[in-house]
This record gives sequence, C-alpha cells and structure tokens, in this order.
Amino acid sequence: MTTVALPAVFVPAATRRLARTPAPLRRKRRKHRLFVLALMAPWLLGFCIFFVYPLIATVWFSFTRYNLLSPPEFIGLRNYTFFFTSDPYGLQSVRNTLWLVIFVVPIRILFALLIAQLVIRIKRGGSLLRTIFYLPALAPPVAATLAFCYLFNPATGPVNQALAKLGFGVQPLWFSDPALAKPTLLILTVWGLGDVMVILLAVLLQVPVEQYEAAHLDGANVLQRFRYVTLPFISPVLLFAAVTGVIQMLQFFTQAAVASSVASGVAPVGGGLGERLGYPDNAMLTFPIWLYSKGFASFQLGYACAMAVMLFVVSFAFAAVLLRKSRVFLYGAEQA
Amino acid sequence: MTTVDLPVAVPAPVRAPLRQPGRRRRLLTFIAEHAIAIALALMFLAPFVFIALTAVMTNTQALTPDVWPNSWRFDNFVEVFRTAPMLRYLTNSLLYSVLATGFMLLSSIPAAYALARLRWRGRNLAFMAVLVMMMLPPQVTVVPMYVLWARWELTGTLWPLILPNLLGDAFSIFLIRQFLLTIPEEYADAARCDGCSELRVMLQIILPLAKPAIAAAALFMFFLTWNDYFGPLLYTGENANNWTLALGLANFRDLHRVQWNLTMAATLLVMAPVIVLFFFAQKAFVRGVTLTGVKG
Amino acid sequence: MTRLRIPRLAVGLAALSIITAACTATESSSTEPLPAPTASASGNVRFWHFFTGREAEAIDQVVKDFQASHPGVTVKVSTGQDDEKMRQAIAAGKGPDVGLSYSTDIVGNFCSTGAWRDLQPYISRDQVDLNQLAPVVRAYTEYEGVRCSMPVLADTYGLYYNKKLLADAGYTAPPKTMSELTEMAKKLTTFKPNGDIDVIGFMPNLDYYENSPAHWAPHWGAQWFTDDGKSALATDPAWQEMLTWQKQLVDFYGHQKLTKFSAGKGDEWGAANDFERGKVAMMLDGEWRIAFIQADKPNIDYGTAPFPAADSRPDLYGGGYVSGNIIGISKGSKNPEAGWELIKYLTTDTGAIVKLANGIKNVPTTTAALASPDLEVDDNFRTFLDIFAHPSSGTSPSTKAGAEYQNLFGTWLVKWQTDRATDLAAGLQGVAEQIDDSIALAGS
Repeated sequence: MTTVALPAVFVPAATRRLARTPAPLRRKRRKHRLFVLALMAPWLLGFCIFFVYPLIATVWFSFTRYNLLSPPEFIGLRNYTFFFTSDPYGLQSVRNTLWLVIFVVPIRILFALLIAQLVIRIKRGGSLLRTIFYLPALAPPVAATLAFCYLFNPATGPVNQALAKLGFGVQPLWFSDPALAKPTLLILTVWGLGDVMVILLAVLLQVPVEQYEAAHLDGANVLQRFRYVTLPFISPVLLFAAVTGVIQMLQFFTQAAVASSVASGVAPVGGGLGERLGYPDNAMLTFPIWLYSKGFASFQLGYACAMAVMLFVVSFAFAAVLLRKSRVFLYGAEQA
Repeated sequence: MTTVDLPVAVPAPVRAPLRQPGRRRRLLTFIAEHAIAIALALMFLAPFVFIALTAVMTNTQALTPDVWPNSWRFDNFVEVFRTAPMLRYLTNSLLYSVLATGFMLLSSIPAAYALARLRWRGRNLAFMAVLVMMMLPPQVTVVPMYVLWARWELTGTLWPLILPNLLGDAFSIFLIRQFLLTIPEEYADAARCDGCSELRVMLQIILPLAKPAIAAAALFMFFLTWNDYFGPLLYTGENANNWTLALGLANFRDLHRVQWNLTMAATLLVMAPVIVLFFFAQKAFVRGVTLTGVKG
Repeated sequence: MTRLRIPRLAVGLAALSIITAACTATESSSTEPLPAPTASASGNVRFWHFFTGREAEAIDQVVKDFQASHPGVTVKVSTGQDDEKMRQAIAAGKGPDVGLSYSTDIVGNFCSTGAWRDLQPYISRDQVDLNQLAPVVRAYTEYEGVRCSMPVLADTYGLYYNKKLLADAGYTAPPKTMSELTEMAKKLTTFKPNGDIDVIGFMPNLDYYENSPAHWAPHWGAQWFTDDGKSALATDPAWQEMLTWQKQLVDFYGHQKLTKFSAGKGDEWGAANDFERGKVAMMLDGEWRIAFIQADKPNIDYGTAPFPAADSRPDLYGGGYVSGNIIGISKGSKNPEAGWELIKYLTTDTGAIVKLANGIKNVPTTTAALASPDLEVDDNFRTFLDIFAHPSSGTSPSTKAGAEYQNLFGTWLVKWQTDRATDLAAGLQGVAEQIDDSIALAGS
C-alpha cells in the first residue's frame, strides 16, 4: 500500500495499527501530535478556563447563598424553589423570553425570506437594495435602540406625531405600554433582519435554475414552486437561522435593557441600572436581564447561578437539536 | 375588445394567445415588486434619516412635529464631545476591538487549522466542544467568570473582555474552519512532496488562501466587540474611565435626558465607524456571513 | 504510546483551575484589624460620590478645604458613582476608600454584609459624640447595632407649589389634607385640544420623579414592617387608604393620559424639570430643588409647604420623609485611617457641614450646624428645616435585602395604577409575601 509515500496523518487509523510501526514513522507521528497540540493548546486552555471551570462553578454556586463578600454558604435547592414558588419576576421573565422566541424568531425569518426573494427578483439596483436592507443590522444595538426610543416616544416621537397628523386620535404608547413594549422590540429586531437576509440571499441564489424551469413547465404556480423547489433546498439554512435565532433570543439583553431604562425616563441620581430594568410593568424584563439584575445589582450571585443553570439547560437543548439534525457543521469531517 | 388598459382580470377570448396577458401581468408584477421594494427600502432607511435630521436640530425643535431642521446646528456634534468624554470612549472602544481581534486571530487560526486540515484522535469531539461553546449564552458562565476576574483584580478594566481572546474564540474558529475545509488538499500535498514541513504548509500554502475567511472573522470580531454592551457594562460599569462607546452612549441619555438632538448626534457618531468600515469591506463581510450558514 | 489525551487533559486542567479558585475563594473572610492609635493620617484617599455637575463642584470645594487642613492627605474624587457600581467594586476588591451614597436603604445590606466597615472603633477612639445627630438620622445610619456609616447632610421632602397657577385658580394657600389636594389638583389641571394633559395639578403616578411609596408613607403614617420584621403592607390599613386615594386621582385623569404625560416629562435634574417648566402645579420634592431652581433660573414663582396629611391623620401635618446621604469606608480600603479623617471632617466639622449645606441646599445633620448663624435660610428652606425637626417625620427601614421591599412594592404599584391589578387587599397581601420571602432568601 501507499503507506510510505503518503504522510502518516492521512492513513486511516485502522491501517496504521496493522503492523509495528517503523522508527522514522513513529518519530514523524510524534512530531505530528506535537504540532496538533501546539495548534490546539490555546483553545484547549481556554476551553478549560472559560467553559469547563465556569460551568462546574455555576452549578456549585447555584446551591449556595453567595454575595462575593463572604464565602458561599450551602443552602441546597432553596434558590431553585424560590425561583419557581416565590420569585415574582422569575416566571414573568421566562414568559417574556418565551414571547421573544415565539414571535421574533419566525417573524424575522419570514420577513428576511420575503425581502431576500424580492431583492433577488430586482435586477437593476438589487445590490443597492441589499445594502439598504442590510444596513440596520450593522447599527450598534445600543444606538439602534436609542433611535427607536426617540422615534416611538409616545409624546414627542415622530411616529406618533405622524399618526396624529393622519388623524389617529389615540396614539399607542409603544415602549411605555406593557402590552406593546415587546411588539415594539419586535419592530426593532425586524428592522435589523439583515443578518438573516444575507444568509438566505446566498442560499436562494444557489437554488438550481433548471428545477424552477421544470416546475414552471409542469404548471406549478409561485407558491407551489416555492413549496416544492425552494423550500427543500433552503431548509437546512432555515433550520440554522431558526436555532441560532432562538439562541440569540435566549440571551436577549441589550435592546430590552436600553429600551426599558430609556423609556422609563427614570434616571435616579446615583441609582443603578438594576432598578430601572423591566419597565414598563416588567414587560421587557427578559430572563438574562433578570439574571444580571439579581447577580450584579442585588448581588445574589448564588441565585443568579441557579438561573444560569436553567438557561444552560434550555440553550444546550436547542444547540443539541442543531448539532444532531443538521450535518451542516460536520461538513468535511470524519463520519465517526 | 382592444382596450389594452383593461386590467388582466378580464378573461381572455379563447382564440387569443396566452402571451399577451402574460406580458401585461409581468409588467404589473414588475411595477408591484419595485414599488414594494422601494417602499420597504424607504422604511428601512427612515430611522437613519430621522436620526441624522434630529442630530442637527435645536433641542426645542426635536420635541416638535417639524421634520426638517429650521436651523442646521452642526455644532451639536462638537457639543457631544464637550458634554461627554467621547474621545476617551472611542479610545477604549478601539483598544477593546483591536486587541480582541488581534488576539483572536493569533489563537483561533491555528485551532481552526488543526480542526480542518489535520487528522487526529478527538478531533470531532473537540469540534463539537467548539460548537457548544459558540452557542452558549454568555450569561451562563458570567458569575464564576466575574468572580475569577475579581480575584485577579482585573474588574473595572476591559481586560476580562480582551484577554480570553488569547485562548481562542469559538465562533471565529468555526468560521475559519468552514472555509479551510473548502481548500483542496492537492495544494498541500504538492508542497509536502517538495519537502515542506507541516508548519510551512500551513503558513505559506494554506493560510494565504484563507485570507477572505480570516478577514471576515476579523471583521465579525471587530463588530461584535464594537457593539458589545453586556460585557463592558458588567466589567467596566464601575469605572467610567474604561467605558466604551456603546456603554457611554447608553449612559449619555442619562446625563442629558431630554436633549434628543445631542443624543441622536452621539448615536450617529457611534454608528458611523461601523457603517464606513462596512462599505470598505463589504465583500469580505458578506462572504463571511454566508460562510456561517450556507455550506453543505 | 503517546496518544493525545485531550479529554483527560481537559479534565485535569479543569480540576486544577477549580482547586485554585476554591482556594482563593475562601481567603476573603479575614478579620479587620483594630485601628492603630491616632497618628497623623496621610496618603491617598479614593472618594466616590453620586453627585454631578453643580453639586459635585460644591463637594470639590469642601474636599479642597479638607486637603488644606490635612496636608498629608490627597483625595481622589470620582463623581456620579451609583450604589450598584460601588457595591460591585467593593465585592471585586476595588472599592473606593470612602463612598458616599444618597440611598439610606443600602445601609442594612452594607452593614450586614460587611461591604462597609464598622466605624465604631474609630468613633470610640476619637470620642466622636453621636448625640449631636438627630435621632432619625442616627437610626438610618446604622443597622442592627452596627454603625457602618455616618450622615453627610439630610434630605427632607415637602410640597412645592406654583404660586401663579394656584392664584389663577383662586387659591391662596397650599393644601393641608389629601382631599384638599385632590380638589385643587383637579381644578389646576388643563388639557390640550386633543385631550392630552397640558398642565397637571398633581401627578399621582407613583413612579414619577420623587413620588414613591417610601416618600409618601409618613403622610398616611403607613408602616413598612411589623415589630417581628414581617411586611405590614397587608396589615396596616394606612396603605389601603393611601392607595385608594391615589387611585381615585389616577382614575380622574385616566392612566393612559398619565403615562403619556410621564413619557413626555423633562429631565428631573435640569431646567426641563416639569415643575420648573410650569407643567406641574404641585409636586413632592426634596429641599435640594431650591438650589436647582436658583441655578436654572426658571420663570416661576413658587412656594414650599409640608406635604398634605391623610384626612384621617391631620396630626401628621408638618412632618415628612427624611433621608440623607451616607458615607462609609469600603471593606477593602487600603487607607482607612485617612478615609476616616475625611469622613470625620465631612460629618462633624461644623464649618464644612454648613458650607456644603449652603452649597447644595441640604439639611445639616448636627445640632451645631443647624444652629450656625452661617447657615443660609430663606422662607422656602425654612419649611424643610421645620419638616426635619417635626416629630412625625420618618424614614424607611433598613433590611438585609436592601431596598428590595420597595422595588417589589413599586413593581406591583405600576400594575395597580394602570388597572392591571384591581384587588387592592389581595395585591397587598401578595406583595407582603414576596417581601417576606425575599428577605428570608437574602439572609438567615
């Protein structure tokens, strides 16, 4: 066989073990391993310090009362039971985050898909359109949220002033209305759908033209062509967008935090961010915000860790779906 | 029967060829599509326009229904620098973004290379670990990490956000790896036959070919850090000297709460660098975005 | 053979890092050394406070005086620092030597967790007489016998009213009871053509500017806790009376309109303040507003009075909410001795207190400073000195969980004032249970 000509690395492991390896080859293999180790060493260290250790520590802290000033004090499952039985905002924050997952993720993907389809169909100026639709995704979230707080300010914002001019007597309170605060966040996130759109654009462009033509000849209408040609082709990408979208929403922090602190208009001199989060009526209190607030405003770090453990379980479950269902990632890797 | 202006809804006579209404419909579709596209594009642009217009208004006008500034106050941008230490924020943002990006490249390219182009036991496992790390919400590990950085007395600075990049960034590793997989092995084999060492194969053959992916990863990292709010809030909240632009902007409104004109001017100043950078590096950027999800 | 043992290596490294973390985690419970006998303090003092702008300049002046009289000490001031940041920095071991906060609610948390040091050893050593402090002030600066803070000026809350608006509506005197306040508030309110509120007589929303249950409580005589430390929200009828009164005024305006008015409000700490703009006829606020009005020079003619009392408790009229700035030494302070010198100067030196009180129009806390002829007192400020001295004035209690009980209540109040919670008794009962639970979780 070709054992000597090819570098040892590329010989299947089974073949390698067949015979006692000659000394030069063994040296070569050792060199190879050292090379791999050298390349992977920083990541490996990072994996331990920034992943394995904090995960284990989070689980441990979640069973303690810990305020960082005195050593952690073991209290068993009390943090968890408090969350489910007594915490007035815990379940509210879960509901808020769930709302975001259920509405923001599909609606963003849907709009991104529609806009991507539209951009593809427009021949002249298509690239300009693509840039315009992508631009909002680049705006730093803090800046974008501030802008929306201004645009949608109930009393002085241009949106309500335009509505008033159009003759709407009662204008919505947007970020200040507990029922509308999350939908207003939805508008903000749909505005920034460029990241999803670009991915969909790329894959839509790869859909084989012949298949469209064949479907067209068979008399399929637009919807049918989408259903039977486009959708199967782009479905792995949709799955990718959905799962990463869910994971993004599970960690949704910046926009909700900035919007509630700005819209509340309460800036107590010397107060902290923590007391303003959640406005109005905790409608924008997402799970990560409540976690942050518990951990770094109230300094109930053990309690925050209990919430972190729950967050980990949920997001890991979603990540697992993606890892199992889609071979997108393992592209090119050994099928072990 | 000859009225061309009639809507397509009129049933065509049997003898008429199918083409004519088809063409008409195509024209209508064309107009409809363009109208929708333009309307949507205007809606997507509108916030930017309002920000820009408000940024040069007087404060009293910003609270009125007038859309067009009645006096153009470009001083507002100067005023922003006077009322908040924007230059300091800018320096901090640059420090954070540039160092984090540089460190990320140093540590992540080798790992991506090993994962994509070398064979070793545990490779799939390691790659899985990279993926899990990539998808883990930062809030999960935030408490122990904060405790750790506090023990190392680095809270209050940006180092807890910069230094971890020396030890690899999962998303960048993933991105670069995906691209490295697409480079044909023949290039490397040819070099190996010429007696090149593995290190030289990596540095002189493969990595130069991976420039687009490396550029995309660097851009992503730069944007991510530039836009980051949670990290600086957590670690530098207590020390205003180390605030980044994102954090400074969020607090800007606290200092000047009803001065919407100045707030919008500051907002525009924070958005500008990212947008400029995007126009310079659009190609690499879009390629990077597609790399994350489309391969396969 | 030398196989790559990544998983095992990973586990090993992880274990190692956990062990190091565990070792460092336990070191923090060291005991505080007793202060050395008085030596002349020297070195740097890092001093954080929450003031900004004009008020911060007043602080700087006094700090300058301190440095002049203590040549060896250099004070490094950081302005605009809030409690959360300070708590975070102390926890991370990077706290300032001396911290100044406006929120007396944190005393319970800071004293019981040791975030601020016990000052008693210094006080005893230097024989500082605490009797010169008013009893209410002494009460809010310590927690369960631990004195971890000292008072730097006090704040009292009263009614500000716009004389011209009142005169236009035919009133010559401010209200003294809640029914008078209701009646006047309704009459003083004007609406825009589209039905929005233009000028509001009195804003009843409990999250507007200085409106808060804590600031309102003394006027109904409402108690936060029973003697055994349980929440009294459901058991003290004063809370129901207060909220029923509040709700009927909210309903008069309609909560939608109030929310909209509130969303368009101006910056509380500047010339755009609704009262200073003439958009509010009567408002609850602290004595510092006098200095703000002096500095902003708005075009209003105003007066001050005690906030009205509940109809059932006319005896409470004349009192009000009292709070104040508190100052303490961080757990990790590198130079507590010089820090203590600064605290002693700011809290007991009559000259310093009077200068600061005149500068930011706060109420001095020591008997000597209150009696000082240098204290500038006009009619408006006199109101607040009287409120401060009134026997029915009070403050909000300290708990281990800090101000959590107020936050929990405040959250529910938003529901209450926007019609999202309608059963008052059940709602108060629910919040009371939340408060008891959260205090139980915060400490045994």
